[in-house]
Amino acid sequence: MIEVKNIKKSFGKLRVLHDVSIKVGTGDVVVILGPSGSGKTTLLRCINFLEKADAGSLTIGEKTVDFAKCSKKDILEIRRRTAFVFQNYNLFNNKTALENVMEGLVAARGMPRNIARERAEHELEKVGLTDRLDYYPCRLSGGQQQRVGIARAVALDPDVILFDEPTSALDPELVGETLEVIKKVAKEGRTMIVVTHEMSFAEDVADNVVFMDGGYIVEEGTPQKIFTHPEQERTKQFLRRILPQSEYTI
Amino acid sequence: MQMNIQLPDLIASLNSGFRYLPTTFILSFVPLSAGLVFGTLIALVQVFKVPVLRKIFAVFVSIYSGIPSVVALLIYNLLYITQFNKIAAFFGSSLTVREVSPIYVALFTFSLSSIVLMSETIRGALLSIDKGQFEAGYSVGLTTRQILRRIVLPQVVPVILPPLTNHVVGSIKNTSIVMTIGVMDVLNGAIVPAETTYRFLEGYIASALIYWAVNALLEFLLRRLETHTGKFRNTECTDSATEYKND
Amino acid sequence: MIDFFSWQRLADNFPKLLIYLPVTFGIVGIAAAAGILLGMLIAVVCIRRVPVLNQICTVFISFMRGTPMLVQMLVAYYGIPLLLELLFGVDSRRWPKIVFVYITFALNQGAFLSELLRSSILAIPQGQTEAGLSVGLTPFRTFRRIVMPQAARIALPGLSLDVVGLFQETSLVYMVGVIDVLGRAQTIAAQTGHVLECYILIAVFFVVISLLLRSAFSGFEEKLTYGSREPAAEDADEHSAA
Repeated sequence: MIEVKNIKKSFGKLRVLHDVSIKVGTGDVVVILGPSGSGKTTLLRCINFLEKADAGSLTIGEKTVDFAKCSKKDILEIRRRTAFVFQNYNLFNNKTALENVMEGLVAARGMPRNIARERAEHELEKVGLTDRLDYYPCRLSGGQQQRVGIARAVALDPDVILFDEPTSALDPELVGETLEVIKKVAKEGRTMIVVTHEMSFAEDVADNVVFMDGGYIVEEGTPQKIFTHPEQERTKQFLRRILPQSEYTI
Repeated sequence: MQMNIQLPDLIASLNSGFRYLPTTFILSFVPLSAGLVFGTLIALVQVFKVPVLRKIFAVFVSIYSGIPSVVALLIYNLLYITQFNKIAAFFGSSLTVREVSPIYVALFTFSLSSIVLMSETIRGALLSIDKGQFEAGYSVGLTTRQILRRIVLPQVVPVILPPLTNHVVGSIKNTSIVMTIGVMDVLNGAIVPAETTYRFLEGYIASALIYWAVNALLEFLLRRLETHTGKFRNTECTDSATEYKND
Repeated sequence: MIDFFSWQRLADNFPKLLIYLPVTFGIVGIAAAAGILLGMLIAVVCIRRVPVLNQICTVFISFMRGTPMLVQMLVAYYGIPLLLELLFGVDSRRWPKIVFVYITFALNQGAFLSELLRSSILAIPQGQTEAGLSVGLTPFRTFRRIVMPQAARIALPGLSLDVVGLFQETSLVYMVGVIDVLGRAQTIAAQTGHVLECYILIAVFFVVISLLLRSAFSGFEEKLTYGSREPAAEDADEHSAA
């Protein structure tokens, strides 16, 4: 179970998160939607401490951390329970696909190399890249790189996987394949928080949809509820722009 | 003014110059090492924005890099020659300027300018590292030290090698100015025979050939090193463009 | 110690040295101008792999880059008269020393700049040339009007670095007997026995020139790239709004 309580974050004078709380049950998939600047990416990055939140608390499983008063040890521990999939993949450029997936296991968790290798090969097989194990990132296409990124995250066996607009940087033809891979991960029962614009994905896989705007959570609920019977005006405005007209009724 | 080139004189000069190659190597590699060590320190201070030091170093680097090596060498040599005896006496030593080789002045001068130049190169290389590599490292649970050692440093090395090659070659070439302060290096050594035969052109050509050969060899070796440490990089990608398309 | 450094001498020597700065500027100017022309020629030869000339250029560049400037000047000073006598029967023994310096610097710059220009030209996508040809421009005009201006913009940072370095290298010319600021300092040293003030003045000259040059160039670069950076930023915004 992941819970963020009352998180606040400002960048200088700009308030990006205004007291946001979100709860994710084990095995749930939560999709966060919203326009640029809504704070959804910041929220995600605060969870694994890529950004340091100003206030609030984070609970992962039985470990609770106060954002304002956490130690380096706390941060490291949280990072070892979470995994992140980046919009622009961020694969380690000087390591092969296989080594990329193994890196966190061997260097951060002290797993013996042969066991890490087996697990890495297994995850890469699940995303369909068995024939690319020894390729460096520069020789992989965007879609392939992102699949390695996903395998890297899953291999860590985290309590939650955080996806930051995983398909936004991909060519349109590759988006579908990558979403299929992410759906497979969801169907395995992984706890996931996904920031995305892909509505069909949200409809298929999400247990909960959260709509954010201007640093607040405007509305949340099941995909069916949000997409067909949104309550808030801002939600309706946003959906109107994103979804084809026939998809929802006011 | 001589009107031809004599081969025997050329060979004599080559031999004579060659004997002083170790001095030239010392004059270039000691400063290069100093440059790597202290230059990295200065670069780290600037990149990690250490409060007061950063500004001091930045100002010092931008001013000192404007002073030509020759001028610096002349100034330090002047100070050295005029002040050495006084300072030695102060420390209770009976050494005089005449007994100590001027090579130390040269080493000091070259080290200082090497540190200044290297710090800029290393700073540029550190800044060129994609922040995303750090973030990816943190997100899989690595510590900063692990990221630097396993991910970032291996990527910095091939970036640094081309400018480093220029520094090494430049350093070797720069050593030739010690002629002014009387240090026996390749250049001075190559014209030793000319002092009796007056065949200076052969001497200078001989020294040119020696420098040329040494630098060509160094460039070749460093280029090999660059290819080896940069195996993971784009230069491979342009060759295998077809594989890329078979996604 | 008192007689070691004197502000009075500093002030006295300042005008004496200042009037020799033009010598330095002259060398830099001629070297840069000739260097760019020569460098351009060599770059084109290398890019188009003109049969014999290409090899000669490669050796030439390797030599100029692998040997110290001082050695090059000395070889030129002693060797060029020999060469000219043998090839053209020209007696150059009475030429002013600075001519040999001009020649050496021009050749040196030609070699170094050719590398810079070559990589800048190669950085321009083939598509630009193809577009120029397809609207009917001759290859030469395509190069001059389309490729070169773009290459020039790319080459600018490297060029500014080169010119700053050029200034520093001119400090060597006194070693072959050319009277520039440093040469004048040596005559002052011989006359008065006090030269520290001169050296310090010269160091200051060079530092000031180097700082002025670098800020001038970076201002110039900013003005030049301002126009071409803006559209890229707008594109990025459109993508993220999707």
